[in-house]
Amino acid sequence: MLAWLRRLWRRDREFVVWLAVLLLLLLVVVIGPSLLPSAYVQSPGERLQGPSGTHLLGTDGYGRDVLARVVEAGRTSLLIALVIAALATVLGSVIGLVSGFYAKSASVLMRAMDALMAFPGIVLSIALVAAIGTGALSEIVALSVVFTPYMARISRSRALHLAGRGYVLAARSAGVSGPRILLTHILPNALPTILVQSLLIFAAALLLDGTLSFLGMGVQPPTPTWGNMIAEARPYLSIAPTFVVAPGLAIVLAVVTLNAISAGLRSIVDPRARALASMFVMRRERRAPRRA
Amino acid sequence: MLGLILRRLRDLAIVLVLVGTAIFFIVRVIPGDAALAVAGDQATPEQVEAIREAMGLNVPLWQQYVTWFGQLLVGDFGTSTSFHTPVAPIILSHLLPTVTLALAATVLSIAITVPLSIGVALYPRNWLWRTVNRFTAVGIAVPEFWLALLLVTVFAVTFGAVPVSGWVNPFVDPAAGIPHLILPIVVLMVGQISTFALMLRDNLIGEMLQPYLRTARAKGARERRVFYRHALPNALLPAVTVVGNNLGTLLGGIVVLETIFVIPGLGSLLFQAVSTRDYAIIQGATIVIAIIFVVLNFIVDLIYLLLDPRVRVS
Repeated sequence: MLAWLRRLWRRDREFVVWLAVLLLLLLVVVIGPSLLPSAYVQSPGERLQGPSGTHLLGTDGYGRDVLARVVEAGRTSLLIALVIAALATVLGSVIGLVSGFYAKSASVLMRAMDALMAFPGIVLSIALVAAIGTGALSEIVALSVVFTPYMARISRSRALHLAGRGYVLAARSAGVSGPRILLTHILPNALPTILVQSLLIFAAALLLDGTLSFLGMGVQPPTPTWGNMIAEARPYLSIAPTFVVAPGLAIVLAVVTLNAISAGLRSIVDPRARALASMFVMRRERRAPRRA
Repeated sequence: MLGLILRRLRDLAIVLVLVGTAIFFIVRVIPGDAALAVAGDQATPEQVEAIREAMGLNVPLWQQYVTWFGQLLVGDFGTSTSFHTPVAPIILSHLLPTVTLALAATVLSIAITVPLSIGVALYPRNWLWRTVNRFTAVGIAVPEFWLALLLVTVFAVTFGAVPVSGWVNPFVDPAAGIPHLILPIVVLMVGQISTFALMLRDNLIGEMLQPYLRTARAKGARERRVFYRHALPNALLPAVTVVGNNLGTLLGGIVVLETIFVIPGLGSLLFQAVSTRDYAIIQGATIVIAIIFVVLNFIVDLIYLLLDPRVRVS
């Protein structure tokens, strides 16, 4: 494990740093709430205070500690986005791999995916939430529906590519059944691509969760999410700046981290991305005089 | 070529039918009685029954579907339960701000991104390269609604440089209309530029690695010509599809920003309809937004077809 980390560090420092940031973020939202003041106790006497020793990021409109609420909100938002990403990944990759492998018979599935992708994500989720009702569960259902097609599209093109490979043909001529090829040859080889994409969906789900909660269609207060905190902070924009800035920065940090990890993973998995990165080294060498 | 366009048109029609079907089922099958929502809490069961009859909810689902689709084809989106007028004119009157924002943000973003990415690809690892890379990484991650609130606080509330919110038709009164557009367009552009710049940079760098550039250099072409005549056009081609694919994100962003900046576009209409549970408008607005998205994408596809001879052959 340590040797592996060291090798990774030598190859891509930035990636290791972002991994550490993600671990730190998870650590904070998991153990943070037990160390910080309550995210729910209101103290009307301390409304909208600026940062101070007792309230590092100040207080909100009900006198609740903003830092405690941002951390608590991180718990909710990250968990919801994680569940959405997991559901979309499983559903999408099953649909994508099957329709890529059985290309002719399963194109119906992809048509349905196309139709879902014809809606901008936020519009489809607003329509779905409007129909099912607000709350964590319906948000999870709605956003999973929104993100499934993106995973399906990627894993389908991967399966199409892999299905034409020699070893798949070899397995087929050896009499291996279709489902078995799918599980033992296609799935493992598609997995890296699926993982990279699922991290991107995780990040996108965080953003969309933020938007939905901001519009009041996600998890309802007093349970904090990053999005509904920003909505609550809206009347006090210039009075209590930390109240609106903190949850937004939290979203940005989480999304940047997830995107960076996804990009780092891709450069490990995909040789073409690695070639892009090395391009700059090559160009610099060309300018410098060659040494023997 | 013509066959290809026809095939695309057929695909377009299929997707539109599926879009309509999806919306129909989203609104009908999922629990929650539309008639009950229209009637309100005070209504007697008889009143609810009458409304159900009037809304055509008493017949079997497939009949509702056929009727609904027939009406849709002739542009009849039903009657709004909150405005008590047909939906189609309401949607039409909300179309202009949304489309204006979408086009303005896209055109301006492209105008900024292309020279920026050229600079980045030509001189890797200098200050511009580092700045653009950081900007794009953050620009993709910033929630639009949050950025909008921050910019409003700083530039509209504190400095008073631009209006806080509102909409004046910029085609009728540009002097009053354009200042209202500045903040929403800037917010949209941050996301757009980040996405485009990231793609274009990767495309350009990928293109710089291609062997045909070596051929061009071997034939004696100058570095400048190699870049502008060979690498750039080929890198710009896939960027056309990126603009198309990103339209969904763009339209989504506009929907949210319209509610923040109180712009009377499709997004505000949709959001209002959700809070008044006006299903006819929700259906209509969602379908129209999807149609805008699909049709614009279709146009982008056609442009791509015109630009890239390889697609025409295959």
